[in-house]
Amino acid sequence: MKGKLLVLVMLLTAFPLFAHHGGTSLYDISKQITVDATITEFVWTNPHVEIGLDAKDDKGNVAHWLLEASSPPVMVSRGWNRKILQPGDVVKVTFNPAQRGASVGRLIKLIKADGTELTRVAAQ
Amino acid sequence: MRNQFLSFCWSAVWLLGALGLIAWCSAVFAGRPAVQTPDLTGIWQGVGIQSLSPSDPSAHKPGAESDIPYTPWALAKMKAEIPATGPNAVFENTTDPAIRYADPDGYPRASIHPMRFKIVQTPDTIYQLWEYNKSWRQIAMNRPHSKDPDISWFGESVGKWEGDTLVVDSVGFNGSTWLDPIGHPHTEDLHIVERIKRVNPETLVFNFTFDDPKAYTKPWNAQLTFKLKTDGVMTEIMYTISDELNFRQRFLNEKPPIPIRPSN
Repeated sequence: MKGKLLVLVMLLTAFPLFAHHGGTSLYDISKQITVDATITEFVWTNPHVEIGLDAKDDKGNVAHWLLEASSPPVMVSRGWNRKILQPGDVVKVTFNPAQRGASVGRLIKLIKADGTELTRVAAQ
Repeated sequence: MRNQFLSFCWSAVWLLGALGLIAWCSAVFAGRPAVQTPDLTGIWQGVGIQSLSPSDPSAHKPGAESDIPYTPWALAKMKAEIPATGPNAVFENTTDPAIRYADPDGYPRASIHPMRFKIVQTPDTIYQLWEYNKSWRQIAMNRPHSKDPDISWFGESVGKWEGDTLVVDSVGFNGSTWLDPIGHPHTEDLHIVERIKRVNPETLVFNFTFDDPKAYTKPWNAQLTFKLKTDGVMTEIMYTISDELNFRQRFLNEKPPIPIRPSN
């Protein structure tokens, strides 16, 4: 089903960043997936903020994704806050998918309906 | 009677002379610039290296670094560990105690985050306060170690100034922590000497010597550098076993083996 989603896959250079959680061990940083999605949950938590979303392809198939972001203080430094997303918000999200096929990923970038662009890390 | 009077006069002259000499010396030395105790106060931020090995900070060859003289015990332990981050990480099966069990980082690993710590400096104690897990250590100044220090996560540290360098001597560590995220081991015999210097207003450099005969055949050195942050911001980044098990449940579909605090 994921293959039917609007997918953009491209090679990236490895982020030379600290990752308290999975990092390259859990996520395939050589791939990026971009989906139009609806937020289902936004969990402002340690160690890393979590974002749940439903992404629908052009045939109406829905895939649920759970994305890992950064720690709340890092997110704040990138312009996020704990109320910036609500369930039901429509967004465009780019992330690294899991190495081993699970429907989880590591957030790269999120664009809100009003055009606000939010990133997990500073621009490389 | 006259001799006694002359003796008294001579004594008075000598006394006044001595007092004058003391006053002169005080005036001379007061005119010199005072020896300033370096000021390390501030909020400092490091970088997220994987390994303390100077030749392999990204940990591409753990166990084979030319600058770390492992004992057979330490080498076997190093090779058996599974890091949670870095090029050889296998997060699901990691043996990293600071991740798997949410153990305290201990020292010096507490400083190997790209996060911040604050130094608070008083004449008799220097405090290092980390924002990650709100941990801290104290460096008692100009005092010897306790006679038989108990073991602890951060050890017992004493310090003294050698010119512009703070020299810190630490012992009394438990053997449960990793020195760094790649898993360099140590025992309760670990002895760390740090030479800490503010090399310029914005840069603080820690030079470490690790001595632990059960883990390393000779002392070895490492360095960490920190940059001054002037925005005054210190955050709270807490990490508990509930956070770890909740992450594993949600992202890896692992059932928590114990009751945990639900996700926020």
